[in-house]
Amino acid sequence: MELENALETFHSMKVRSIMPRPETLPVVERDAEIINVLKLLRTRHHVWVVENRETMRLFGVIRYLDVIDVLLPPKSYKFKLGTTSRTMKSLLGGATRAEDMAEKNPLTIEQDATVLDALMKMRKYRVQVLAVVEDGRLVGEVSLRILIDELLRLLRVGGAQWKQ
Amino acid sequence: MEAVTWLLFTIGIALILAKIGDAIIERFEFPGVLGELIMGMVLGNLVYFGLVSPHYLPIVSGQGFTTTATEISEFLAKLGIIFLLFLGALDTDIEKLKKTGLTATVSTVLGVFVPLVLGWFVLMKMGYPSREAFAGGVLLTATSIGLTVRVMMDLGVLKSEVGAASLSASVMDDFLGIALVIFAVGSGSLIELSAKIVLFFIITGVIWWYLVDYYIKFAEKLHVEKGVLGMALGMMFVFAALAEGWFAAAIEGAFMMGLVLSKLPEGKRLMDDVRAIGYGLLIPFFFVHTGAMLNLTVFKNANALVLAAVLTTIAVVGKVLGRGFGAWITAWGRGRDFLFTKENFWMSLQMGIGSIPRTEVALVDLMVAIHGGAIPPEDAPEFIAATLIFITVSVLITPPLLKWAFRREIEEARATKVARKVERIQETKEKIKELKGSQ
Repeated sequence: MELENALETFHSMKVRSIMPRPETLPVVERDAEIINVLKLLRTRHHVWVVENRETMRLFGVIRYLDVIDVLLPPKSYKFKLGTTSRTMKSLLGGATRAEDMAEKNPLTIEQDATVLDALMKMRKYRVQVLAVVEDGRLVGEVSLRILIDELLRLLRVGGAQWKQ
Repeated sequence: MEAVTWLLFTIGIALILAKIGDAIIERFEFPGVLGELIMGMVLGNLVYFGLVSPHYLPIVSGQGFTTTATEISEFLAKLGIIFLLFLGALDTDIEKLKKTGLTATVSTVLGVFVPLVLGWFVLMKMGYPSREAFAGGVLLTATSIGLTVRVMMDLGVLKSEVGAASLSASVMDDFLGIALVIFAVGSGSLIELSAKIVLFFIITGVIWWYLVDYYIKFAEKLHVEKGVLGMALGMMFVFAALAEGWFAAAIEGAFMMGLVLSKLPEGKRLMDDVRAIGYGLLIPFFFVHTGAMLNLTVFKNANALVLAAVLTTIAVVGKVLGRGFGAWITAWGRGRDFLFTKENFWMSLQMGIGSIPRTEVALVDLMVAIHGGAIPPEDAPEFIAATLIFITVSVLITPPLLKWAFRREIEEARATKVARKVERIQETKEKIKELKGSQ
């Protein structure tokens, strides 16, 4: 497939059609220990934090870069108005559970949104991953890695053929 | 034209010195804001002592130095206050605040009202008019938790019950400190002012709480560079204008917009940009400008020293008593039997001492009170001097006092560490013995 056609198809694809199955998502419950989160982050760039696995109600997200705040010693923090939430992610600052280091209310996108919508949102807020939610429940994700994978697949076999 | 050149030069020098001062003071593990204030004080006094002409360093205003350039630098400093409060509110976790326990709530309320009432009463006794005395009391209300958190972290007691309660309480008393200043600067009768406040909070808080989602979605659709940031800041300034017009306290509007935005993921994602504008330009300039307002010649007058001594004493004693008593009376939710125990006394004292430091919000309240007319221009130098002194004293005495108050916990933690080490050595020895035996 030509690059231009492939990109056109790619942009109009629905998020629903490219998002991975919920059971493959990196998910922890909000009271999971930070050590378990760190174990997941060895191979993933983010971890979704949910209230519990039954409801899958989205609580927050922990991104790869958040680990910096978790690992730094207390002396490296500057305590100023407007910077305290970062500080409290530190292991030495009292963070013990996933909920302590998670960014609450992560950016989300609807299943029926297109890849173009997702890309626009990612650029606007400079994030690499968006949660796909339905009534507050985490049902999938769309990340740059997934988008790159899909584009490469599309270029190799073409959108319609690939879907079949 | 030349005035613009020197204004730009002054802004540049102020920012460079602010960052250097911040870094130096942080090395001594004190809040960097002290360094920024000191640098401002140096710059300002170059002008006050006639070493540099105010034309070349338009950073001080009032006291006969006001020009168009100094008015601009004063306005920049005001923008710094607005950004500081906006950022503080944006960083707030309202859900966490709702879960604040009884001990933190009671100790916050008493920790705010005891220094406020004491300050108000003593300043009135000293001959200050009621409104000015009340503004003086408000300066003493808000704790700056940063230093306490750092010291508690170093001592390994931040995760304790006292540490957690101190954190919640300090977020709440920032709220109260910021809200109370309205009563100092607002004009009109108490009923009129209260009605304005209620109306303001209904418009900005309640209505916008539901509308902000649609507003941000609309901003997203604009597809322009930094569209969401621009629209959010735009609305923040509209809120600030409303608050300035109604009660001469623009900070309330900025604070409310920050709170409203803080509930949205999109709002939280704006923090990096707001922080860049705030801490990269406006906020350090505000601190340098505030430091520059301290004319050291004010100390020739004994009144300034007396006021400083009085405010410092009330700031320290009032907070320890207020917050400590508030914590003590709740017995940490453990019932009456715990009330008269030594443990309750020490935990409450630790809570009280943790609330001594004051920095940003006290300075914000001071500037709002001065610009709002609650503190008249002729008394402003005294209040600036007194505030900077009680801020410095509160920051200097807190670490040693906290170490003293937590000495039992520190010793226990040390003993546990040693015991663990001994245990581990013992285990290793036994393992070596076992290995030798099996050979």
